Amino acid sequence: MKKHKLVYKISCLFILTLILSGCWNQSQIEERAYVIAIGLDNAKDENQIKLTYLIANPEYGSQIQGGGTKEPPHEIISFVTDDLTTSRNAANVVISKEITYDLLTVLTVSQEFAKDKDFIRWMYDTTKDPEIRRDVHLVVTKENASEFFKKNEPKLETRPHKYFDMILDRGVETGMLPSSELIEYFRITEADADLFLAMYGTTKQNDDENQKRDNDNFTAGEFRYSGQTNTTNFAGSAVFKEGIMIGKLTADETRTTIMLNDELNATDVLTTYTDPFNENYRVATRVNKTKRNKVEMDLTARTPTIDVTIPIEIEVLSAHSMVDYEKDISKRKKLKKSIEKEIRTKIENLVRKTQEEFKAEPFGWSLVARKKFLTIPAYEEFDWMKSYPDMKVNIKINVTFGQFGRQSELPNEKEIRD
Amino acid sequence: MEQTSGKIGIREYIAIVLLTIGTKLADDLPAILYSSLYNAAWMTPIISGVISILPLYLLLKTMMYYKEKSLLEIIVHLFGNYIGFVIIFILWIVGTAAIVIDSAIYTDIIGTMYFTRTPTIVIYAILIGVCVYAAKHGLEQIGSVAKAVLPYIKASLFFALILTMIEGNFAFLFPVLGPGGWEVIKESSIRLSIYGDILYLSLLTPYIRKTKDFTKGTWIAFVILIVELTIAILAYVLLFDYNTAHLLNYPYHEVIRYISIGFLANMETLFFPFWLIATFIRFAVYLYINGLLFGRLFRIKDFEHMIPSLATLFLFLGLILENESIALSELRDHLLFVVTPIFFGLPCMLWILAKFKGDYKNEKT
Repeated sequence: MKKHKLVYKISCLFILTLILSGCWNQSQIEERAYVIAIGLDNAKDENQIKLTYLIANPEYGSQIQGGGTKEPPHEIISFVTDDLTTSRNAANVVISKEITYDLLTVLTVSQEFAKDKDFIRWMYDTTKDPEIRRDVHLVVTKENASEFFKKNEPKLETRPHKYFDMILDRGVETGMLPSSELIEYFRITEADADLFLAMYGTTKQNDDENQKRDNDNFTAGEFRYSGQTNTTNFAGSAVFKEGIMIGKLTADETRTTIMLNDELNATDVLTTYTDPFNENYRVATRVNKTKRNKVEMDLTARTPTIDVTIPIEIEVLSAHSMVDYEKDISKRKKLKKSIEKEIRTKIENLVRKTQEEFKAEPFGWSLVARKKFLTIPAYEEFDWMKSYPDMKVNIKINVTFGQFGRQSELPNEKEIRD
Repeated sequence: MEQTSGKIGIREYIAIVLLTIGTKLADDLPAILYSSLYNAAWMTPIISGVISILPLYLLLKTMMYYKEKSLLEIIVHLFGNYIGFVIIFILWIVGTAAIVIDSAIYTDIIGTMYFTRTPTIVIYAILIGVCVYAAKHGLEQIGSVAKAVLPYIKASLFFALILTMIEGNFAFLFPVLGPGGWEVIKESSIRLSIYGDILYLSLLTPYIRKTKDFTKGTWIAFVILIVELTIAILAYVLLFDYNTAHLLNYPYHEVIRYISIGFLANMETLFFPFWLIATFIRFAVYLYINGLLFGRLFRIKDFEHMIPSLATLFLFLGLILENESIALSELRDHLLFVVTPIFFGLPCMLWILAKFKGDYKNEKT
């Protein structure tokens, strides 16, 4: 009897091991090719896309091996395909390993493709594949995505997954880029009320020499720099209406949008404003938004109005006019007035642009408007996107000053030159 | 081996109720609610919870009143042999449909969200296999496992919901009435059956140590469930907004795929196992109750031995459904409609009949 039990138990164990080894979804790390970024471009045929994979080499730069491998940090492959999922097999004609999207962080789309009326069809591929997560960033590139990947050669952080992680996160922190996860793309597109902003990047330099004076007023490709670095730059945003790209915002406009949209957040914004005491100089500041905006709406009026009050905290980092702002209250008041006015004009220009050019807004105001309605049918009846362009928008800025830098007192310019 | 009574206490009972009904927040129930109620879906657990108080109260009252009898005996006693048999048969058929449809849905979740390449039949067979193994060991075993794992399962859920809420946006709750106040009440009341499992769980009274434990446990679990389901359905809307949420098949699994803490991405690998254990317990209880009903119907005393063969039958029925996986969610919604009148009507009828027969008076004197 006891013997029987033992045999029974051992056979159970064997069966269990057999079951375990039969895991259909089991796969080894070294047998998989990790796609870090996918690029999408128009193909010649209407119902196909040109797909680009940026595949990371997990061995590259790993500490355990002492950074030792002669293989390059990544490889790039472009081909024409029907969709995002079946393309994985096609790529295996060239790539030896099994393609996986587990570590996918960036979805890059060329500007031309993003403006295509069929663009949204391809985007919904990403909701079907269980390996694509909704926190993937959507990036729009000026040139073809395939070209973008080829030219992109990060110098100090050559591992592609780290590179994209870092440069995009930093862009969001400084307010030069909007946070553009797929979850938001789908949410905003499906809600059909606001505009969605995607990150904008390029490896192409714009040859136009007319650099504007205000030095944040550029999109990617317009920032002038020289030296030995990567040609890729990210700045500004691509504007999507109903899932399709309709325009661009500069880095400065993106920042202004972030200031207006409480759902977006930039934590480390450094920028300059005109010095009211000497228009030739600019005051360097750090801009903080410590409180939420106050948005009030009157939607029952014939011309609906929106009143927005934006509280901003400004730290003056340096003033080249050498005006003593720290000591003098009246000077500070003047500075405050002038900054408030500058920001307000900027915002009003942007609001006008959204009303006239885009005919919708990226400020998340529809969410505030929703609170004014009791039921979804009533809200849909109002049709936020249609009503917005005719609304009257009043902007009020509330600037408070934070710290005034490390050394607050400055010598009198004239006395030194004396 | 030590001989045990085969009965469970109040804690085990509460754990079983919480796991069988609470797991619904992580399947396609939220999706069903969103598709008709959009952002007002979170009101459904509350509204149907409030309406459910009546049948629940009557059910518990009737059962308290025939303390010596189990629910099945009460049904036979009040309705007579023939009608009693028909009612139990209907209960069994509906219970079977619930197991078949739900297990097919759970297999679909595991298959589409996690193990995309594993054949459906293998996932299904393992799921049913584990549950049969648990169910065959009797209620006491299921109860103690449920009690042991409950804190971990609920902690992981709580954690996931907190992270979701942090990422979420409360503005998505507006317009607050969703498709309109009347619509919300109507749609909520025809889906009372969210809590319908309690009717089935009350079949377990003969295996609960004290009758008092049953009443008390039911109310405690019921309140926790209302809160839990409401918060969960609320949390998904906060993250996705109603337009997106009603397009998702399995919001909980989308949520755990999205949330991350700092550098820790792919959090679903942390939450998935807990969900899986809850699923096992849920179906183990379902199978056990189903066996119980079947045993009563055909006078099989050791009904536990029937569970494996019944489960095999369910497995194959479920596989037929699984091939039509798109229809599953719709079927489940139909099932919710079917169970609602049973859940509401049966306790009321039992109570009225008990009054009518005058058994109440006897007891009091």
